Amino acid sequence: MKAIQVKQVGGPEVMELVELPGPPPKANEAVVKLAAAGVNFIDVYFREGRYKAPLPLVLGQEGAGVVSAVGADVKSVKVGDRVAWSGLLGSYAEYEAVLVERLVQIPPGVSDQQAAAVMLQGMTAHYLSHSTYPLKKGETALVHAAAGGVGLLLVQMAHNLGARVIATVSTEEKAKLALGAGADEVILYTQADFEAETKRLTGGEGVDVVYDSVGKTTFEKGLNVLRPRGMMVLFGGSSGAVPPFEPIVLAQKGSLYVTRPTLTNYIATREELVERSSAVFAMITAGKLKLRIEHTYPLSEAQRAHRDLEARKTTGKLLLIP
Amino acid sequence: MKAIRVQRTGGPEVMELEEVPVRPAKPTEAVVKVSVAGVNAIDGYFRDGRFRTPLPFIPGQEGAGVVTAVGEQAKLVKVGDHVAWSGVLGSYAEFVVSPEELLVPVPAAISDEEAAAAMVHGLTAHYLVNDAHKLKSGETALVHAAAGGVGLLLVQMARAIGARVIGTVSSEEKAQRAREAGADEVIVFTRQDFEPEVKRLTGGKGVEVVYDGVGKATFEKNLNVMRLRGMLVLYGMSSGSVLPVDPSKLLEKGSLYMARTTLAHFTATREELLARTSALFGMIAGGKLKLRIAKTYPLKEAPQAHQDMEARKLVGKLLLIP
Repeated sequence: MKAIQVKQVGGPEVMELVELPGPPPKANEAVVKLAAAGVNFIDVYFREGRYKAPLPLVLGQEGAGVVSAVGADVKSVKVGDRVAWSGLLGSYAEYEAVLVERLVQIPPGVSDQQAAAVMLQGMTAHYLSHSTYPLKKGETALVHAAAGGVGLLLVQMAHNLGARVIATVSTEEKAKLALGAGADEVILYTQADFEAETKRLTGGEGVDVVYDSVGKTTFEKGLNVLRPRGMMVLFGGSSGAVPPFEPIVLAQKGSLYVTRPTLTNYIATREELVERSSAVFAMITAGKLKLRIEHTYPLSEAQRAHRDLEARKTTGKLLLIP
Repeated sequence: MKAIRVQRTGGPEVMELEEVPVRPAKPTEAVVKVSVAGVNAIDGYFRDGRFRTPLPFIPGQEGAGVVTAVGEQAKLVKVGDHVAWSGVLGSYAEFVVSPEELLVPVPAAISDEEAAAAMVHGLTAHYLVNDAHKLKSGETALVHAAAGGVGLLLVQMARAIGARVIGTVSSEEKAQRAREAGADEVIVFTRQDFEPEVKRLTGGKGVEVVYDGVGKATFEKNLNVMRLRGMLVLYGMSSGSVLPVDPSKLLEKGSLYMARTTLAHFTATREELLARTSALFGMIAGGKLKLRIAKTYPLKEAPQAHQDMEARKLVGKLLLIP
C-alpha cells in the first residue's frame, strides 16, 4: 500500500510517499481502507519531532473509511462497515489497522470526508462546550482563534447552546467567517485590545468562560476578562506555552478556575467516545453544524498540505485522499 | 472602648490592649457592640505583615453582637438586632463599625458564640462543597487538615451530601476528631505518605476533588491523587504559598482543574451572603452541623490566643470575649 512515511524528523520535505506492506489485523483490530485522512497541527508536531514516536513513522491521527478485514476476536465491526477514528498514528496511508474499541460507526447522512474532518476538531469543540465547561443559555464565552479549525465549530456549538459568543480573529475575512458561524461579537485583535473590548462588550462584568488555544500571548489578559468564579479553559498553545503562574493570582482576580484539557481524557472510555462522536454526527445530519472543508489533496501531496497548514492561511479543514 | 491594636507588625506580642474612641457610623454603616470575636489564621497574616493594611489597626475579621447605632441611611439593620459578620477588619474590640450590607441577622436559636464561630469557617466550608466544587453523593473528596477550623465543618457537610471523605491530619488526636466529624478514612500524614494511601483507598482511581487549605506542602502530590478531570480547590496556604504552576502539568496529570478561591467572592452579593448564612445557621439549629469551640479568651489575652492558634495544638475554634 501507499503511505506517507517520516524516516527523520524535520520540515515538510521529510514526508515521503512509500510503498509498504498492507497491515494484517491483530486479534482486536480492524483494517480500514481509508477514504480520507484529516490533517492536523499535531501531525506537524510529530513530523518536526516536538512530539516523539519511534521512527520511521506513518503520520496522521484521524481518518474515515471502510473496514476491509477484521481480527479473530472482533465482534463490534464487520467488513464493509463505514468507520472513523482519531488519536492513533498511521492514517496518512491507504490502509490502517485500528484497535476496534477506537472505531466509531459513521451514520448515513455523514460522508466519509465529513467524518474524517470532524473527529478531532468536532469532538474537541464538543467536549469544550459540553463537558469541560458546559455552557448554559445566557452565559457569555470568549473564543480565541474563532475562525480556526476548532474555533468555527466551537462558535457554532456555543451559539446553539444559547450562549453569547465573543470571538477574536486576526483578519476581516476571518471575522466574516466567525460571524457566519454565529459569533455575536468579533474582535480583530490586530486592531483592538481584546481585554478592553471584552470588558466593554460585557459592561465591565466579564465573561463566564474563556476558550483559549492560543496560550502564551492571550492567557494573562484572558484572566482579566473573566467574571468572578469564571473559568479559563486552555486547550492549546499556538503562540507558545503559557509560563508558570502564581495560583494566588486566581484568588486576586476573582476566585478563578484554570483547566488544561486534552481530547484523549474526554473520550477515555468506549462509552464516552461513542456518545461524543454520535452527538457530533447528529449535529451534522441535523444541519446544525456546518463543516468547512477547505481543500482535499491526493495523498502524494501531503507536503503541500503541511505547507498550507503551517502558513496559517487556511480557515477550514484540510484532508488527504489516499 | 477597649480594643486590641497593632502598632507595628510582628509576633503575637505586638497586639496590645488599648483605649480607643468608637468611630461614628457613616450613612450606610452600623455600630455593633461585639459580644464575641472569632480568631482566624488570616488575623495572624495581618498581624505579621504578610497581608498589608495601614498601621495602626485593630485586628479581627469576624464576630457577633448587637447593633447599638445606625447611620442615617441604613435600611438593612436597626438598633437591637442580633447580627454576625465576616470580612470586617477591627473585630477584636468592644465595638466595631461595619457597612450594614455585611451584617447578617442571627436567628434566636443560634447563640452569639456559635454565630461568631461559624461565620468564616462555616461559610468557607459551605461554599467549598456547594459552589467551588459542587460535591455530589458518591463522589470521593480528599480534605487536608481535616481537624482544622474549616476541615471539621467541611467533613461534616461533605458527609451530609453523601460523599466519601478521606481526611489528612497531623496527629492521632486530630484523627479521632476527624472521624467523629464523619471522615470515612483518615491519614495521619506525619506517619504515612498521603499519596500512596489515597491511591490505595480509591483503588488507584483517585478522588474527584481535593480541598486544600495547606498549600505548598501538599500541592504536587495532590495532582497525583486526582482522577481524570478532577478538581483541586486551593483555599488557603497554612504551609506557605504554592510555587508557580506550569499549566501543562494539569494536562499531563489528566485534564485537571484547579481553582484558588477566597470567601469574599462567594458572598459577594447581599443575596448570596444571606442565602449562605441562613443555610449555615439552619444546619446548626437543626443539629446537623456541630461546632467545636476549643477555647474562649478574654479580649486582653489575644496574644495567647494567637500563640495557641499558631502552635496548632488545639482542635476547634478560638474566640475572644470583649
